[in-house]
Amino acid sequence: MNIKHESQRIAHSFYTFAVLLFLVQVVVGIIAALQFIWPEFFILNFNTIRTIHINTLIVWLLVGLMGATYYVIHEESETELWSLPLAKFQFWLTVVTSITMVLGYIYMGINPQANSPIFGINPLNEGREYIEAPRWADFLIVVSLLLFLFNCFMTVRKTKRWTGIQGTLLVGITFLVIMYLPGMIYTKNLIRDQFWWWWVIHLWVEGAWEIIAGALLAFMLMKVVNAERGVVEKWMFVEVGLVLFTGILGTGHHYYWIGTPEYWLLIGGIFSSLEPVPLLLMVWNALKTTGKPRNVTNKPGLYYIVANTVLSFVGAGLSGLIHTLPQINKWTHGTQITTAHSHLAFFGAYILLVISMIYVTLPAIRGVKDYNPSRAYQSFWWMTISMILIYLTTTGAGMAQTYMERLMGLDYVAVKITYNMWFWVFRAVFGVGFLIGVVIFVMDFFRLGRESSPVMTTVAE
Amino acid sequence: MSNKAAKNLFIYGSIFFFVIFLALTFDTMEKLDKRAPAITEAVNAGKMAWHKYDCIGCHTILGNGSYFSPDLTRTANKMPKEYLKQYLMNPKALNQKAAMPNLGITSEEAESLAAFLDWTSRINTNNWPPKPILAKEARIEDKDMTPGQRLYRSFGCSNCHVIKGIGGATGPDLTRVGNKRDKAWLIGYFKDPRAYIPGTVMPAINMSDADMEQLTEYMLTLK
Ligand code: HEC
Ligand code: HEC
Ligand code: HEM
Ligand code: HEM
Ligand SMILES: [Fe+2]
Repeated sequence: MNIKHESQRIAHSFYTFAVLLFLVQVVVGIIAALQFIWPEFFILNFNTIRTIHINTLIVWLLVGLMGATYYVIHEESETELWSLPLAKFQFWLTVVTSITMVLGYIYMGINPQANSPIFGINPLNEGREYIEAPRWADFLIVVSLLLFLFNCFMTVRKTKRWTGIQGTLLVGITFLVIMYLPGMIYTKNLIRDQFWWWWVIHLWVEGAWEIIAGALLAFMLMKVVNAERGVVEKWMFVEVGLVLFTGILGTGHHYYWIGTPEYWLLIGGIFSSLEPVPLLLMVWNALKTTGKPRNVTNKPGLYYIVANTVLSFVGAGLSGLIHTLPQINKWTHGTQITTAHSHLAFFGAYILLVISMIYVTLPAIRGVKDYNPSRAYQSFWWMTISMILIYLTTTGAGMAQTYMERLMGLDYVAVKITYNMWFWVFRAVFGVGFLIGVVIFVMDFFRLGRESSPVMTTVAE
Repeated sequence: MSNKAAKNLFIYGSIFFFVIFLALTFDTMEKLDKRAPAITEAVNAGKMAWHKYDCIGCHTILGNGSYFSPDLTRTANKMPKEYLKQYLMNPKALNQKAAMPNLGITSEEAESLAAFLDWTSRINTNNWPPKPILAKEARIEDKDMTPGQRLYRSFGCSNCHVIKGIGGATGPDLTRVGNKRDKAWLIGYFKDPRAYIPGTVMPAINMSDADMEQLTEYMLTLK
């Protein structure tokens, strides 16, 4: 299998940047984990380290999804990109913006006064979780996203092949761009601040990104097992439809305790409890579509697709369901239970999604006929087992914290530095296991198809 | 269901739910002002300082943020204002073991941060954080408490001190204070802490001699 359109290679640049940021993200995560044990372990304070950890995460997932989308648009439209130079420009704009942004965080970490407002705006760090990006970076990110969208729409316009998959994909990305905007307003009221902040965070991961995931799942199933378009597209519409029917009002699960009216307890509780349903449907879809014996050539691709749907259901769906009812969330809110969920959810739903897309499309981009799949499996198991163990240790810490701090009234610091210490130690150890998996994956990314190795799997037309 | 029907369901269904969501958003925005005190200039200045120093990178507030340090929604209820201000400007000067770094907060900023945290402590959060329902087991509430223990509780000493893991970590741990201090020292100290440690935030305790006796007795049992 080879790519049919020259400009499809642009996906490769995006993948490369994404994979490198992934490595940075995880190394920084381990520093954050060590700071739970020794707060003064590193020259930068915990807040800076954590900011870098979660910002590199979001940026590399976005960059990976952009690369994947560029790839898909070509195949669905059956044409070259509308403008390759524009795509290259947009790529470098993203790279330069994100690197400058991170350097700004580091500078602010060393010298907090450098973040003093200029005309009422913090120049280096907005001081809001996940969307720490200062206003100038917000604008550049939005410009980059708009250029990207524009290029995609113009490409589709060339041949006017509005397939369900690319329509849904572009709807998802448009929704993503729009949902970035509520994060760019300053409000004096902390309640309003958090209200709009959740539009970005929740309506991204449980809305826009899920739409993109549904479209990419349909695309990958067609690529890897030659599933029939009509069938996968119907599944896709039902899945992304249910995601939004439950997920939009499910935002209410973040409006229980932030000063918003009481009716959110009911609305958030009911709709968010239904959020796992579409995720389960995706598992069923993947298993059913890939279950029939077929001549599958890209085995690692297939492996990752199925794992992605399963771990997305477990990590986002089940681990979310555990603490989504107000009766439970009242006790667990703001504890390590949330951290545990964040990790397994992001890993299952989105890290594995981007890696699946890489394994499904990279061989074609490199024009590879054969490649050795063993590293793909090894890295998968290192990452997955370590992530499950990280989840379990953090959940343990969260349960101890919920019990002692929320139920018994012990002091936060006392619980953290005494009862929970062993959980921190084990989390850091498992973090290293996760890093090993990432290193194997990154090595595989750079070597795939570029080394002469014994033929293990054949990627045929 | 045909492919087209599925597509229409997705599009119109999503629009339907989004419209409901928007309506609820408008309603919520209308109601918010009644659920918290008015926002003064000082509160807003405090919020700006909050963002400037990226406090959320370590703390949660209203339960959202980072899980590295205590939630600050209700901190103003337990830390006296002067104490809070001093703490913000130099945490380690008050509590050597505090893991909060000195961020270079000015006294003006500390003043507005205190106003901001006082504002958050009065938000109607639907009763979050909840009252610890197992506090009895943890011996925070106990019918068999000695008079000294009762005094310790009613004077809010546990806001700043830990005994056997319970309480705030801003003052020294008192779990074994009975080994360290004697009766005369304690009574003298309680009456005028600043005579012992100039500028300390440990408040002078104003109580009858009999009560002072009881409280000190209790301290001496902590070994
Ligand atoms: C680098 C991480 C970090 C940053 C940034 C940070 N804090 Fe802290 N803070 C901590 C830690 C850790 C503690 C717990 C101290 C201890 O170990 O006793 C703490 C404790 C506190 C306390 C005492 C809480 C209590 O219940 O005893 C207050 C109040 C506080 N911080 C306010 C702030 C404010 C306001 C800001 C922003 C201007 C801020 N902190 C920024 C880490 C941080
Ligand atoms: C606002 C916080 C605060 C409150 C409330 C408070 N303390 Fe303290 N206390 C401190 C601090 C801080 C110190 C350490 C003195 C210093 O270094 O400034 C201290 C010191 C002490 C010491 C001396 C400990 C030693 O090992 O030297 C004792 C005993 C003590 N407090 C008892 C009490 C009692 C009893 C109460 C209640 C009546 C109380 N404290 C209320 C903050 C507080
Ligand atoms: C689809 C992938 C998902 C991802 C990537 C994800 C990610 C996250 C993250 C990062 C947070 C923490 C935000 C913060 O830092 O404060 C969070 C919170 C939460 N999530 Fe998810 N989530 C997903 C799906 C779900 C689902 C399906 C549910 C419910 C069934 C759910 C329920 C919750 C709840 C209740 C909280 C709030 C926790 C608290 O009270 O502190 N999540 N999620
Ligand atoms: C793909 C892998 C990872 C993902 C998707 C991820 C994601 C996240 C997210 C979303 C947060 C912020 C949300 C929250 O705290 O609830 C976070 C915080 C954090 N992560 Fe990760 N992370 C990953 C890997 C790691 C690793 C390997 C470690 C090291 C053991 C680590 C350690 C931490 C720590 C210590 C925090 C701060 C948590 C807190 O505030 O209590 N992460 N991570
Ligand atoms: Fe959510």
